[in-house]
Amino acid sequence: MKTSRLCPSPRRRAAVLCGVLSVMLACAAAHAADLPALWKERVKSVVAVEFFTETELDRRTSLVAGVVADNNGTIALPPGIVGARVTAAQLKDFRVHLPGDPASAYAKGEYLGQDNLSGWNFVRVEEKVRGRLTPVTAFAGKPGTAEPAMAEEVWGIGLRGKEEDFLPYLMVARVGLVQSLPERTAVALGEVAAPGLPVFNGEGAFAGIAEGGFGSSYLQYGARGGATPIMLMNVEESRVFVLAAEVTPWLTRAPANVMGRPIPWFGANVGPTDPELTAFLKLDAQSACSVSEVYESSPAEKAGVKAGDIIVALDGKPLPRLTPERVAMRFFDREVDRRAPGDKLAFTVLRGSERVELTATLGDEPKLAREAERKYFEKLGLTVREFVFGDGVVRRVKLAEQKGVLAHFVKASTPVSTAGLQPDDWIQEIDGTEIKTFAEAVTKLAAIEADTVRTEFVLLVSRRGETQVLRVKQK
Amino acid sequence: MNQGLREENFALRLVIGCEGRLLSGVRLLCFFLALPLAASAAVSRGFSRLLDAVVRIDVREVSFESGQKRYTGGIGSGVILNDDGFILTNAHVASPRAENINITLANLERVNARLVGWDHWTDLALLQLDLTDLKRRGLKFSHADLGDSDKMEPGDPVYAVGTPYGLTRTVTRGIISNNRRSFEDGVSTINGYETGLFNTWLQTDAAINPGNSGGPLVTEDGRVVGINSRGNNSAESLGFAIPINVAKRVVAELARSGAGGGVGAVTRSYLGLGFGPLQGLEEFYSLKQNTGVLINNVDPGSPAAKSGLKPGDILLTLDGAAVDGRFPEQLPPILDLIASKPVGATVKLAVRRNGQTNDYALLTEKLESRQGEAWSFEKWGLAVRKVSRAYARENQLEDANGLLVTGVQNGYPAAVAGLGRNDVITKINNEPITSLEAAKKLYETLAEKPDAVLLESRVNRQVSNRILKPKS
Repeated sequence: MKTSRLCPSPRRRAAVLCGVLSVMLACAAAHAADLPALWKERVKSVVAVEFFTETELDRRTSLVAGVVADNNGTIALPPGIVGARVTAAQLKDFRVHLPGDPASAYAKGEYLGQDNLSGWNFVRVEEKVRGRLTPVTAFAGKPGTAEPAMAEEVWGIGLRGKEEDFLPYLMVARVGLVQSLPERTAVALGEVAAPGLPVFNGEGAFAGIAEGGFGSSYLQYGARGGATPIMLMNVEESRVFVLAAEVTPWLTRAPANVMGRPIPWFGANVGPTDPELTAFLKLDAQSACSVSEVYESSPAEKAGVKAGDIIVALDGKPLPRLTPERVAMRFFDREVDRRAPGDKLAFTVLRGSERVELTATLGDEPKLAREAERKYFEKLGLTVREFVFGDGVVRRVKLAEQKGVLAHFVKASTPVSTAGLQPDDWIQEIDGTEIKTFAEAVTKLAAIEADTVRTEFVLLVSRRGETQVLRVKQK
Repeated sequence: MNQGLREENFALRLVIGCEGRLLSGVRLLCFFLALPLAASAAVSRGFSRLLDAVVRIDVREVSFESGQKRYTGGIGSGVILNDDGFILTNAHVASPRAENINITLANLERVNARLVGWDHWTDLALLQLDLTDLKRRGLKFSHADLGDSDKMEPGDPVYAVGTPYGLTRTVTRGIISNNRRSFEDGVSTINGYETGLFNTWLQTDAAINPGNSGGPLVTEDGRVVGINSRGNNSAESLGFAIPINVAKRVVAELARSGAGGGVGAVTRSYLGLGFGPLQGLEEFYSLKQNTGVLINNVDPGSPAAKSGLKPGDILLTLDGAAVDGRFPEQLPPILDLIASKPVGATVKLAVRRNGQTNDYALLTEKLESRQGEAWSFEKWGLAVRKVSRAYARENQLEDANGLLVTGVQNGYPAAVAGLGRNDVITKINNEPITSLEAAKKLYETLAEKPDAVLLESRVNRQVSNRILKPKS
């Protein structure tokens, strides 16, 4: 558009080409002239966050890039930075580094928890540096701004390592493709920002946030010839960004508590449906999701969902056609996750040749492994963890038969590890007494650990469906 | 019975040779070495007779794992037992999957044999030479004399005779390193079939290599005391043989049950109990030493589970006879004792729990392998096994219906439809699959048609529907 206005009306083809070229050069020059000013402001919307994960024996450092979400010092960090086994209590010492400041001069951060819908983690930085930060939303484009067009130039921010004071650097690329995953997501022709950091358009408007986790396929040739397909993933820079219209609402989703509660719960394993099957079911114009398992006593079970059902519509609307198929599954999950416990979810399933209308009232997600209570017995060399709903699903144990505790951590060369206890073993009895609750296990083990006279104790554990009696020699 | 079966025992390998490029080079070597070896052998009459009874076994067998019927070859060893031409070898040398079993006699003549009986639990198989063919060709053979493996003591000299890497009639020498070896690393398998639960092994340092499998371990006077079956890849001089006294019982049963023409088998009983050694736990359970055995595991749904037995119980007596499972070496005989009971018999157990002894009467069931019958639906590129009761029990399936996918061929309809190993096909075109025969019938009608087929499959407890489009 811009170029046509600037171009004189040409008569000859050569002149057109010449004109276009000169305009492109002019635009590039104008762009470059704008960029330092745009950069100076927008770089205030990014930070580096360092934190520590404390386990029984280790203290591991993590470094991630974050984006400033609001004026209250809220920082949004990308998903996947905290392991599923890690509790919020194990996350320590959040340090927020402003890019380019000496790495030793950081501000303290407080972990706010993980949002279930976006998967983002949130941190709040202490007040003293808030004035130097600008929320990325301050650079929002005008309402109604179109999606980045194909070949549009976009730019983003990367951060160097800690030893280089997290110096920010520029990345520029053109948009190659915009697709629904199910969020509108752009794939650029080159790396455009560090995962978790914002991308801007040529005018400096907030265009999206880069997402990690996308790999590229390569062939690796061995010295003797012969190629092996491998996938490489650039963990520091990403070519993919979720568009601003999708992520802007997420920036406001810092959870009210570190557990990220409340979390809505449907209670069924919903997976992708093979495109051949959707075609077979004459659902070519849309996607569908397959229910592969319905959990006991879940909202899905109460709503009458059966394993094998194929979900074809939500709230009376057919699922949109999304590719690849697993995106349809993400679409369904998102629809659940954007609701709250107690909300209704109306949907249509195909069951054999029948079409069945169902409504589920979403529940509260049962306690997650990261929320389970745990206790470390240092002398014995193990951490026990409360048995939670998901443990029953994995071990195929009915709710009524759930008991005992799990060995969360087993320290090497300690009495329990010598006895053969392994992480994830399900401890069902201690000294011949059935363990029903976490509290019972803790009482028993605490008494055993405190007893300086006794020489051994006995555990009954289950591993991969098979039980065995372990004799733990303390002396 | 243990549940957590592993496909492969990582430390122990089964000693079987595979035809490959390596062998041609080895055969050449053999050509030069054969003569001096034979000339320098100065042995007893018994030993020389034994040498004449050891055979090389070449087996061509079917495999379904690729989703297609494929043939593979293997080489093993065997020993002729009697004038009827019965040959004892390992179950992993010759299995019911064998299409052709070719025996090379000591006089280098080749003759076919049939599989009379197969027992993967002890890793033993019984073959019979084609006597009609032998008679027609006027060929003769000798048989070995069997010794008493119970009398073998550590330090006794022994010889292993067999066909390592296809090198026919190779004799290696060693001693009995341990006369009661047990393995504590769970149940190992041969082609997925459970093995090694019911016996201990003779361990020897006589060199045992791939191809020695099924060959005899003999005394200086040529009496067979064991059947070589296992070696250790990562160690030297660690070989293991099945005691001949175990084999004698199995051979008798295989010969009897296989006499009719089908493949004979040993029928065993099952209670669903897994045991652990009591060593060191006697005080905790207030037991005298050498009393009872620890029940480590009770299979869900088994006779033991139904009778209320629980892990942590102590089995004191079995049909009135005291049981002693203090050490790991003592566990296989206890399992064998249960397995030896008739199927459907009542077994009386005295069991101690919390200081109290109670009597239980359990009805034995037939012991079944977790491996069901194998088949391949070739046009679909799909290899399956019938889901067995044991597999269903181990994997907590609702019933033993369905077909377990053991392999799919790339680019074929099953693979394209997204099926993979360990999926269980429960329905074909909405028809529940209760038997392999039913599935075969459905396949026959469907494979010829161009129509898409709707499959319901499960993996773990998750149900999937898949569309299988026949290859055009």
